[in-house]
Amino acid sequence: MERHEQSGAMPGARFVDPKVLSRIGSLDLLARNVVDGFINGLHRAPHFGASIDFAEHRGYVPGDDIRRVDWRLYARTDKYFVKQYEADTNTNFAVLLDISKSMTFGSDGGVTKIDYARYLAACLAYMAHRQRDRVGIVTFDEEVVTYVPPSAKHFDVLLHTLDRAQPVRAGRLRAPLENIAEHFKRRSVVALISDLYEEPGEIVEAIKPYRFLGNDIMVFHVLDQAELDFPYREASRFQDLETGEEVPIVPESLRAQYRELIAAHIDALRTKFSEIRVDYTLVNTSRPLDDALFSYLANRERMMRVR
Amino acid sequence: MSFLTPLFLLGLGALAIPVLVHLIQRERKTPVEFPSLMFLRRVPYQSVQRRRINNWLLFLLRSAAVLLTVLAFSRPFVSQTPVQASMANAGAREVVVLLDRSASMGYGDHWQRAKDEAKKVIDGLGNGDQATLVLFDRSAEENVRATGDKTRLRAAVDAAELSAAASRYAPALRLAQSLLSRSTLGRKEAVVVSDMQRTGWDRPEQIQFPEGTTFTPVSVAATDTANVSVTSVTFNRTRFANEERVIVTAAIANRGPKPVEGVPVVLEIDGLEVATSRATLTPGVTNAVTFPAFTLAQSFVRGRVKAGTDNLAADNVFQFVLSPARPTAVIIAVRDGAAAAESLYLAAALDVGSPRQFDVQIVPMSKLTAPAISRARVLIVSDATMPGTLGPALKSFVERGGGILSIVGSRGGPLDGEGALLPGTLSDPKDAAGGRPETLGVIDFSHVVFELFKTPKSGDLSGVRFFRYRPISPAAGDLVLARFADGSVAMAERRVGAGKVIAFGSTLDSDWNDLVLKPVFVPMLHQVARYLGQVEEQPAWQNAGQVVDVSQRVAALTAGGTDERVTSALVVAPGGDRQTVGGAAGMSVELREQGFYEVRPQGAAASGRPFTLAVNIDPTESDLASMDAQEFTAGATGKASLVSAGVPTDVKPAESERRQSIWWFLLLIGFVLLVAESIIANRLSQKPAFGIR
Repeated sequence: MERHEQSGAMPGARFVDPKVLSRIGSLDLLARNVVDGFINGLHRAPHFGASIDFAEHRGYVPGDDIRRVDWRLYARTDKYFVKQYEADTNTNFAVLLDISKSMTFGSDGGVTKIDYARYLAACLAYMAHRQRDRVGIVTFDEEVVTYVPPSAKHFDVLLHTLDRAQPVRAGRLRAPLENIAEHFKRRSVVALISDLYEEPGEIVEAIKPYRFLGNDIMVFHVLDQAELDFPYREASRFQDLETGEEVPIVPESLRAQYRELIAAHIDALRTKFSEIRVDYTLVNTSRPLDDALFSYLANRERMMRVR
Repeated sequence: MSFLTPLFLLGLGALAIPVLVHLIQRERKTPVEFPSLMFLRRVPYQSVQRRRINNWLLFLLRSAAVLLTVLAFSRPFVSQTPVQASMANAGAREVVVLLDRSASMGYGDHWQRAKDEAKKVIDGLGNGDQATLVLFDRSAEENVRATGDKTRLRAAVDAAELSAAASRYAPALRLAQSLLSRSTLGRKEAVVVSDMQRTGWDRPEQIQFPEGTTFTPVSVAATDTANVSVTSVTFNRTRFANEERVIVTAAIANRGPKPVEGVPVVLEIDGLEVATSRATLTPGVTNAVTFPAFTLAQSFVRGRVKAGTDNLAADNVFQFVLSPARPTAVIIAVRDGAAAAESLYLAAALDVGSPRQFDVQIVPMSKLTAPAISRARVLIVSDATMPGTLGPALKSFVERGGGILSIVGSRGGPLDGEGALLPGTLSDPKDAAGGRPETLGVIDFSHVVFELFKTPKSGDLSGVRFFRYRPISPAAGDLVLARFADGSVAMAERRVGAGKVIAFGSTLDSDWNDLVLKPVFVPMLHQVARYLGQVEEQPAWQNAGQVVDVSQRVAALTAGGTDERVTSALVVAPGGDRQTVGGAAGMSVELREQGFYEVRPQGAAASGRPFTLAVNIDPTESDLASMDAQEFTAGATGKASLVSAGVPTDVKPAESERRQSIWWFLLLIGFVLLVAESIIANRLSQKPAFGIR
């Protein structure tokens, strides 16, 4: 209900159904369409135009890119000054994408969680890229699969990485995230996209290093509608996508209990993340991307206010 | 509740199918992939949950459909007594009660039992039911028409009386068919209360009762019947001392299963016992008993033969009426001075017979008078010319029923001046061409005169040779009875008033032809004379149920007395009932009762004994062999169902089941349930199967 209210609070925001997005082959095109449409709908472009607004001049220090020297000012003052824009103050943006086997799940002919995660990551990266953030990506399952360090030039690499990512193995959060955390020493915005099938404590422990390094962390908990509702009727053997383990299940007999458990899990995550000031967004793959994007924009806005 | 094919109940085992379907739910062969069993494993797995009915509505629908289908195949029916079965059907009934009142129903207590059975049917009428009482013997009549008034119906049954007529089922069944076809009531029933006499079936009858009619034969026949009957009598008449003596021989039949010895057989004449004899009768055999001769002195002598005493009294007595033979008056008119030989053959031929059938008088033309002609029945004009003065008398004679045979030789001519009597005109005499005698080429064997010779070897008229003849040219409307081989007419007839005139185009002597020398001459001449004189044999008895036209006999009785025609007569039945017949309705008498009917002409002077008719029951009524109810039903109709309300036969299970047809409803309901189940199951299954990729 909360998500509905949020999307309803954005007049003019028209987002495309994830099923329709799945027909767009190019992530770049997808991200442009989604994000441009989203931002135009907001009518709040000045917020994000900071990247092209002139901020101030500062003295050149060795190491600065000589392309950023204001040569006109040098002509007048004979001193080297470097132009600083709001955009230049932007930060790194990194996507931590869970590509474990469980992310291949998708019910009722809808998009799979991994596809949805791809769209989300692409859109987030595109928005960051538009405002001159450096974008990078880490894909992981039980270990780090791909690491693309944040860079202003890595947007295409990021899209390529997303496109290439194939969930084949079981996933774990803590080990790969701890391994890659040391690369995030500079303050970054980190978006973790995962279905978070681990104990909330474990997940928080995996996230904490990033938080301690001063990163802003957004957690996108990607779940299918079927994972929330458990709408199955026929008695069946249920197979764990990651382990291959099978369990005979009579859905009607344990649906209620399952729903209670998943709700408790989400509540626990929400509570624990808020304790460590991590933004947590539950993303339903049957819903448009706007919830997640709005969450990101709200986070960025808050960061700007903090500056 | 019973079942016609109970083995099908084994199919109830199929009830386990929906139970198993619902209790042991089939798991999908392909497992459902799920991202993580992390939470599912935390839920305690309870196998007992699998035994819970998943969808009670579907389960009940499936179970009911299987149950009803199995029951339908088992062909259930409710065992009912015939009366219950009859009462169970809803809706008002149209009942036609056919009560047999034929003579055979007089056997023992058959008639009373039949009445009781008819009353039972009447008492069984419910509100809105209607019944028609039909009394039948050889014909059927509606006694009480379509009413629900039981009192009236019962009174009609009580008032019904036996008749002396034979049983004939077809007219009664046809009447019932007609009544039921016209009825607008929903349920139709025909009930036949009878002794089911086998002789009542003339031939296979196609009775088509309306669809759904219940046909109920109720038999009152006794199984062991003893019956001696007088089936017929024959008479041997002789003349002795100018009186007629008659020897009566009676045929006595034993229709029972046991021999009968020393049965007294009595002959009564005019109420007086004149002879008694005793007979020993073996079963199924008819014996002849001959009585001594008695003198028949008067007309309409009433005779009666009695034999035995048994449960069917009506056929133990046999009535007959005898009158002395009365020769038909015939005048042979010859030309004056004719030789005796010219009429020799005619007179001799008519005199043949014992007793003598014709009283022949040969009269020369000059002595023929009108009164003489009027006293005769037949006038034969033997090759003579009739004086013109007798023309009106002749015309009157013929118009009143007299007959003229005109033998046309060379002298023959028109009988009256106007030529209104002779059939056609006469040509000149012709000799056979080339000396070859002429023969008769075409003969109308359908005519009464020649029908005796119709069959082969019964008389050869083609062998008669005509040396000379006089062709007749008949007028329009005249009948041609015979033609010569050359096509000219040899014999023609004209009808004038009530009488007839026949012209023969040759002589009846040995000169012009040799007919008089042929064996066919005498019988042919007798036929012609009887035909012209309209002589009818008076049967000694009639069978009950027949309708007799007495006008001829009444006319014969009064003939000669007066010129006025008798137009009506009083008929006195054996029971004393009086009935006037005549006028526009004709003098037809229906002979309902056994015994002697008297017919007295009205408006004519009574002379001697009245005309009497003896009436016996139909001989077939003595044959009490009966059909059983099923056979009777099969004979009456191949379609109507059999309900034995009064016959001690049980309704067969197959018949009960067929009539109730419960299976049909069960199957229909089962089908409807299956359709409902399909719709519900379809709707449930249209929900997407989550997790199946």
